[in-house]
Amino acid sequence: MNTIEKNHELFKVENVIFKVGETKILNQISVVINSNDITGIIGPSGAGKSTFLRLLNKLISPSEGKILFESKDTKGIPSQKIRKEIGLVQQRPFLFNGTVKENLLYGPKIWNINYSDDELIQLLQKVALGEEFLDKQVEGLSGGEQQRVSLARSLANKPRVILLDEPTSSLDINSEEIIETTLKQLNQEGIKIIIVTHSLEQTERLTESLLFLREGKLIEKISTVNFFSKYNIKEIRSFFKEKGEEEEK
Amino acid sequence: MTDLTSIITDIVQTLADPNIWIRLTLASVLLVILILFSLWQKTSLERKIIWSFFRGLVQIVLLGSILLLIFGIEEIWLLYIILLFMCFFAAYTNWRSYPYPKIFTYNFIAITASVMIIMTFAIFSSAIPNFDGIIYQPNESAGSSFGSFVIPVGSMVIFFAMRESGVALERLKSDLLKSKGEIEAALALGATPNRSIRNLLRDSFRASLVPTINRVAVLGIVTIPGLMSGMIIGGASPIEAAVYQIVVFMMLLTAAFFTSIVTNYLFTKQFFTSEDQINLDFYNIISQKKQGKKK
Repeated sequence: MNTIEKNHELFKVENVIFKVGETKILNQISVVINSNDITGIIGPSGAGKSTFLRLLNKLISPSEGKILFESKDTKGIPSQKIRKEIGLVQQRPFLFNGTVKENLLYGPKIWNINYSDDELIQLLQKVALGEEFLDKQVEGLSGGEQQRVSLARSLANKPRVILLDEPTSSLDINSEEIIETTLKQLNQEGIKIIIVTHSLEQTERLTESLLFLREGKLIEKISTVNFFSKYNIKEIRSFFKEKGEEEEK
Repeated sequence: MTDLTSIITDIVQTLADPNIWIRLTLASVLLVILILFSLWQKTSLERKIIWSFFRGLVQIVLLGSILLLIFGIEEIWLLYIILLFMCFFAAYTNWRSYPYPKIFTYNFIAITASVMIIMTFAIFSSAIPNFDGIIYQPNESAGSSFGSFVIPVGSMVIFFAMRESGVALERLKSDLLKSKGEIEAALALGATPNRSIRNLLRDSFRASLVPTINRVAVLGIVTIPGLMSGMIIGGASPIEAAVYQIVVFMMLLTAAFFTSIVTNYLFTKQFFTSEDQINLDFYNIISQKKQGKKK
């Protein structure tokens, strides 16, 4: 049973091109992402990492090629269903006006998932926020706090897969550590995780396999261990050096 | 019924009166001040101001000349055709101000539907035994034909529907552009397109209706509406005129609300793809229009 799970194809991306106008943001990407490990997506700014995540969550559709989720073409799966199963935490939090609690319950209200206040507090603890945040207005939160609420909001939907776009980019080291522990725990509980990161250290700590993108192309899919032995540290730093993800057009 | 020759004689006599020209010239001083203000504030509205007043004057003079003819109309079908023409023109005017894809069609559908429903209700309310209808108003110069009350009230209803739906549309459009990130965040959580913009739709309706609702709330204290004043000057009892005014306001608000809802819902259909994603082509079109206006 376990072996079958291990070999299970989570996403199969086949010859995907994503164009904005005539510009190819992603160019001929073909890759299989397996379940059960935490997959990192790395590459310099403008490599198309965020775009790739948005394709998996069906916020955008490929201009050419197709994406299979658990062997089913995502084109044939209703968008809402995909987005329930595959949560997306964007780099900018984009919280809704109102309290943290209202934000956390936005998804669950759509899907009729009930939460008690205690459960919501537990959810906040997973993202390193205390219970006092529950009734706070989101306008008053710092960037890092907003980012964590955004992660908790996606988790509240109980997704099976979670896509993260630099979820710890505005966090201090302590909070970053708590989030990483949470992500590892979630992964052990069976939630598949794909994470875009700009941090070399985070890549090493968290991920087991990597997709390395550059200028819209998939340079390689490689295990994290092999990646760090294949390239010297100078080369690796150059892959990570540019800070700040490309803005979605 | 007034005949054409007497109307023409009347126009000629009126235009020969120097008072009318003095009045226009003096009032134009205000227009010059308005244009100077506009230049000072760089609103780029000068041409639009001059053109609007000129166009409005010509239209209203022409209308004034044939108004008594129209007021005399008894045939209901003819009144509907005139109303339809007015709806067409209202939607066209809105489309010129808010030139987004399909807005002319959507707004025309919305204005026509709401105006026709409301006016039909008003016209056929006179079918109730021993009741003249909710907007029946006998008029000395035009008699008590349908045209004398359907056209003036209809024009007010159409004007409100046009203006308020335009305000609601513009508000919705700018909110959609501002809130792209939040809309996508909602979609990413599994919200349907309608759910993801529910608050924006609500805000757009509020933006267009609240000023009118406030206007109703201060009736008689801050504003003395023209319709009511006109009726009283024309000899109607003040109570009757007041009730009539409130009835008309109810019609105006309903028409404005209904038109805004239909226009905005149809408009938002274009904002999303069939896969419930933001339609980036459409997004770019409406955001370019915004930048264009700023220039």
